[in-house]
Amino acid sequence: MLALAQVQDLFVQEAVVRLAHLSHLLLELERTGGSQELVDAVFRELHTLKGSAAVADLDAVSRCAHELEELVEPVRAGQRPVTPELIDTLLAGADRLAAEISATHPVPEILVDNLETVTPDTVTSGATEPNGHSSGGAAHAGAVLVSMDRIDELVRLVGEAATAHLRVGGLLNDRFGVDPASCAEFNDLSRAINELQDRAMRTQMVPVATITDNLQRAVRDLARAQGKDVRWETRGAETELDQGVLTRLSESLLHLVRNAVDHGMESPAERVAAGKTPHGTIRLHAMQLGSEVIIAITDDGRGVNIENVRRQAERQGVDTDGMAEEELLQLTFRPALSTTSFVTDVSGRGVGLDVVRANVEAARGRVEVRSQTGGGSEFRIVVPITLAVLRCLLVEAGGQRFALPFHRVVVSLPPASAARAHAEGRPVVLLDGRAVQSSALAETLGLPTGMHPSGPIVVLADTAHQHAFQVDRLLGQRDVVVKGLSELLPHLPVLAGASVEPDGSVLLVLDPPGLIQRARHSSRPTPPSAADEDGMTRRRILVVDDALVVRELQRNILERAGYQVRVAIDGSQALSRLAEEPSDLVLTDIEMPVMDGFELTASIRAHPTLANIPVLILSSRADDTDRQRGLDAGADGYIVKSGFDEGSLLTAVSRLIGGRS
Amino acid sequence: MHAVVVPVGADLYAVPIDWVRQVLVAPSITTLATAPSRVLGLFNLRGEIVPLLDTAALLGVGVIDPVAFAVVLRSSRGPVALAATGMPERLSMDGVPAPSTLPGTTGTWHVDGRVLVSIDPSALLAAAGLVGPGPGSPGVPVAA
Repeated sequence: MLALAQVQDLFVQEAVVRLAHLSHLLLELERTGGSQELVDAVFRELHTLKGSAAVADLDAVSRCAHELEELVEPVRAGQRPVTPELIDTLLAGADRLAAEISATHPVPEILVDNLETVTPDTVTSGATEPNGHSSGGAAHAGAVLVSMDRIDELVRLVGEAATAHLRVGGLLNDRFGVDPASCAEFNDLSRAINELQDRAMRTQMVPVATITDNLQRAVRDLARAQGKDVRWETRGAETELDQGVLTRLSESLLHLVRNAVDHGMESPAERVAAGKTPHGTIRLHAMQLGSEVIIAITDDGRGVNIENVRRQAERQGVDTDGMAEEELLQLTFRPALSTTSFVTDVSGRGVGLDVVRANVEAARGRVEVRSQTGGGSEFRIVVPITLAVLRCLLVEAGGQRFALPFHRVVVSLPPASAARAHAEGRPVVLLDGRAVQSSALAETLGLPTGMHPSGPIVVLADTAHQHAFQVDRLLGQRDVVVKGLSELLPHLPVLAGASVEPDGSVLLVLDPPGLIQRARHSSRPTPPSAADEDGMTRRRILVVDDALVVRELQRNILERAGYQVRVAIDGSQALSRLAEEPSDLVLTDIEMPVMDGFELTASIRAHPTLANIPVLILSSRADDTDRQRGLDAGADGYIVKSGFDEGSLLTAVSRLIGGRS
Repeated sequence: MHAVVVPVGADLYAVPIDWVRQVLVAPSITTLATAPSRVLGLFNLRGEIVPLLDTAALLGVGVIDPVAFAVVLRSSRGPVALAATGMPERLSMDGVPAPSTLPGTTGTWHVDGRVLVSIDPSALLAAAGLVGPGPGSPGVPVAA
């Protein structure tokens, strides 16, 4: 007999899949108008959840499912039509149900295979009782639920077997003088282990379909809230990629689809006026191309306003003269630039495309944009299928071997072909006629240097910079199985992970963006002028609000995040403060005595020396008219106080002026 | 209390046995570039990559050089090893300990004429700021 805790564990495992299936059914119900079959399926899911929750002694969950079941009952009986409002209520109910479940019991991390194949019917095993209450088993012919811990363990053990196998090969050769390649038994074992390793890796792959329902839901909810008519389509959702990669991307994809609705999609009236259909379409198209997966989010909305991007970039000091449209579009991934003129708290809580790019790059991928004014936009995310195996360039520096992920290597140059020079107080390497800053890799890593003052050069790139690193030796390239570093270690930005070598030693895999940042920081010839005791420049923010509590709350949040904060009680005082000493950002309320936030913003924009200071409006007014007034006055962002928490404030601020360094 | 004694220079520290997964003779270490000095490096434990910490540096009583043994601890955040300068041994400690002063320690014990200071690994790691990027405590012993 199972203990109650075990029953509850099983229930949670079952419920996770059932809830995902329920959301999927509800969205289908709305899209297709609803067949009796779909309505019955929704009813069945709720009924089973109710029954299983009661069995697991989770009364609150059971009650919640019961209430939803009662809503569906009249639809099932043909007494009530399927309306968007009903779907709203049911989706919100499904969310409440999920919240109830996670509140009573932590949801384990589970690898849910393709929802097409693992519907709850295949999950609950043949143990469904006659009364429709499932006993919540987890196995059925064709599919099982497996916890990620078990899969990680499996992959680890296979890796261990492969390492031991190589050592046995070495032993055969050294001790018995037998060439392992000529030994049939050894070769059989090699084949089996290789295949096992390949299959073990595949167990971590999931189809893109596992996240498309969430995206569809986000599109649907936002479109309804904004009175837009948007259809959602998916193609290639069966494309598989590493679960870890997909998890890292899901937030970015969510942002892109919300962005498409919020910024890209016009209202039905605007669309008709532009000669389009009243409904717009947002499409997700996934496909595998070699060892990469491409996920494209396409909309047929208004497209990116190139002139707006150009204006914003120029205000940030970017010279856009002679830039082709394509280059200008790439600027939308710069911090503080937006496809609209505003940082909004709709398309991802004030998070911009720069964050999307950073997340995609963390998954070792890249993001591209194409857009046509009036015709729509396409964002393409290209990522490797798995993060577990990475093509690397192996180098030696400071007497230690390191792996450099190949997709970040621009070029590697033998000692003789590297043209070295000196410029602006630091060493540079000439690459295609350009001077690229250069450092010794060992020095950047804090290792002993001086062994090979004119060793080979490896040029690495992140999204913004290229940097040349001088190494002791180039050791060739190969695939490296990368493991994350222990969670107990502090975050080390120069490291991407580590790998166990065939000889049992540990190889460090470096993270080029972190490495470049460290090298650039340490090779600065003079310290920055406004630096605090850590040697980090502190960004200055002027907080303008007539309410003491709000002012002090914001000051507290920003100071804790490392910003230098001054305050003013209204627009007029803010202007005097700025005249004394400029700030890197002004964060202002709207309603204030003497001079309000709109007037302050307009005055800053009209001022000859203050005009380029970003202004972020923080107001309790959620009205679109106020948002528009803010835009007209020249604000760079608008956050509604009711929706603001510490995280979204800091994200918006950091997006406009960067972190504290 | 059953414990494993971790010699650190002239001092003896005791780690509750529930935490200890295994003891190894000085493993071969890969230095972890840019890491703080209390992280001596990484080693391979049957395919797992385990960080080795300088027990003396964690406690603030100097540095360990050279490492003679590694005591591998199990925590909810994965394995982690403490460096020792002499051979660790198993020991039973009874009675009430006298207070101890170093962060991460829980008391001073007298056993067979020797003085031992008991360690709470969770508190020791937290005191050293080794709590990783995630929330929560640095870990608790997990069942074998």
